[in-house]
Amino acid sequence: MSDAQTSLSFRSNAVQAIGNAQLRAAMRHATDTFGAKRADAFAPVADVEAMRDRASAIREEVLNNLPRYVDQFVASATRAGATVHRAKDAAVAREIIRKLLADRGARRIVKGKSMVSEEVDLNAHLEASGMEVVETDLGEYIIQLERETPSHIIVPAIHKNRQQVGKLFSERLGVPYSDDPQVLTRIARQVLREKFLSADAGISGANFAAADTGSLVLFTNEGNGRMVTTVPPLHVAILSIEKMIPSLADFPDFIRLLPRSATGQTMTSYVSVITGPRKPGDATGAKELHIVLLDNGRTEILGGESRDILKCIRCGACMNVCPVYRTVGGHAYGWTYPGPMGLILTTLLTGMAKSHPVVDASTLCGACVDVCPVRVPLVDIILQLRHRKVREGFSDPKEKAGMALFGKAAASPALFALGQRLAGWFWPVVRVLGGKDVAGRMPAPAKTPFHRKAP
Amino acid sequence: MSGPDLAARFLENAAAAAAGAHSVSGTGDLLAALGRIVPTGSPVYCPGLTELEKAAAPLFPNRVADCAAAEVTVEEVFGAIAETGTLVCVSEGGRAVQAGLLPAHHVAIVRRDRIFATLDGLLAVVAAVPPTNVTLVTGPSRTADIELTLAIGVHGPERLDVIVVQPGVTFPYARP
Repeated sequence: MSDAQTSLSFRSNAVQAIGNAQLRAAMRHATDTFGAKRADAFAPVADVEAMRDRASAIREEVLNNLPRYVDQFVASATRAGATVHRAKDAAVAREIIRKLLADRGARRIVKGKSMVSEEVDLNAHLEASGMEVVETDLGEYIIQLERETPSHIIVPAIHKNRQQVGKLFSERLGVPYSDDPQVLTRIARQVLREKFLSADAGISGANFAAADTGSLVLFTNEGNGRMVTTVPPLHVAILSIEKMIPSLADFPDFIRLLPRSATGQTMTSYVSVITGPRKPGDATGAKELHIVLLDNGRTEILGGESRDILKCIRCGACMNVCPVYRTVGGHAYGWTYPGPMGLILTTLLTGMAKSHPVVDASTLCGACVDVCPVRVPLVDIILQLRHRKVREGFSDPKEKAGMALFGKAAASPALFALGQRLAGWFWPVVRVLGGKDVAGRMPAPAKTPFHRKAP
Repeated sequence: MSGPDLAARFLENAAAAAAGAHSVSGTGDLLAALGRIVPTGSPVYCPGLTELEKAAAPLFPNRVADCAAAEVTVEEVFGAIAETGTLVCVSEGGRAVQAGLLPAHHVAIVRRDRIFATLDGLLAVVAAVPPTNVTLVTGPSRTADIELTLAIGVHGPERLDVIVVQPGVTFPYARP
């Protein structure tokens, strides 16, 4: 995925998305539904703010002592019988997993939804060495069949409507066309059940990791996460280092906050706590469990001014309320993570040079901060990144000159009035200079300024 | 909160999560309830590890030893959580947690004295030395990946029934 990053063309991606009526209808429906469900799910909870404070404090504590919690997790997971691998970047993570699978002759792989695996572009790497990798989350399965990338971190196929999925299934799977979600779901169940039962290995992510017991915690509604982690003989989990929580005893508030924030559910259908591989006397569990802990730039983020983004628990609530995300959808951002948390991670993980246009993909309205269950100061971090963008010389010179001019004019009423008149006369030129994606889409200045219309 | 209230709250929340919610007193009642819930003749996986499972097993002439071949699983689970209407399935005692995953219909028996009031209550018990697998199950398997329209029964059961039973015998895999 990193090779195919298109964050630099965010503006033209966005223009394209805005022109896509089907996409906008799908996004509006999905984000409105999520917003309403989230509000309903939190309404009966008496002490939401206190719960958010507690969860935020636990995430702060983890970041304050992250290396210690990671070391503790490695020791506990190892004691529980898992093998833990540390991967400093995407290439190392991909290669560790490829080799683990290849050494055991694994060719048929089933996979649960994992944004970290998307971040390191794992599937392409494994497929290139001849393995069959099947995504088993329904949304991921749909976009895998379509050869697309996720457009939302919780519902990856949010941008597609039921007719598109029906058509895709009938073309790729040779089944009769249906646009009934229940029928389509049943088809996926049948196809994927075979895959689960014949798989050599399962790859999953993890929502959290408990440092004191070395446990992985996974939330799934479909049950695919349970299949991937317990049915095949080998389970490989990939997660980033900041997913640590000190102890399982700290989990209740996270179990209450994550589903409500993510899907508006009181509880996810399945929450699995996995501690080590199958032990003597167990009838369940993978025979071998390997855990790949990915850094990929996080240690560097931890030492910088934007470190609070690492508190994020990936619920997706910030994107559902973001006016930019709701309008342009997830693909426009050009990398794995969209929306407010996504533009921050994209900039920090892939570098300003590859991503600076997405730093502007926010109105700074703060709706994201209002819904964040762990109080990540998203707007403050986006402002930091904008300052950095200017400092590092990535701002558009035309925008810079325009802003300097505006600053001068705004300080003097006479200049401002002159500017208004000039803008009207020279608008055709400004449209061309400003480029078709920016000034070209703006309405022409009014012939008579508003303040002169006032009675 | 007292025992009966906890059970009522658990059943109410389980029903809200689309589980069939039942309450029985004693083994006789349990068998009658199972007779109504489990379709006659279906291949049933019932591991027969606990007293209640041993009592239930003879009800099902078509018992299978492998849960992957069953249409229905009937099992007693570790416990439940009233706050969320959640079942707690654990791998302890040689129990296959896939039993509640692979068949299309999961029937879970819970003893009333094994209902925890809150998530905190359960995690306090399992946090120190967790078994290989602890799965919290709330309602049947579901997805909303297509247009956020709810579809039931993706990879796990499309039907979940929970039966709360009055305590009578010692819990076979209770922790110290």
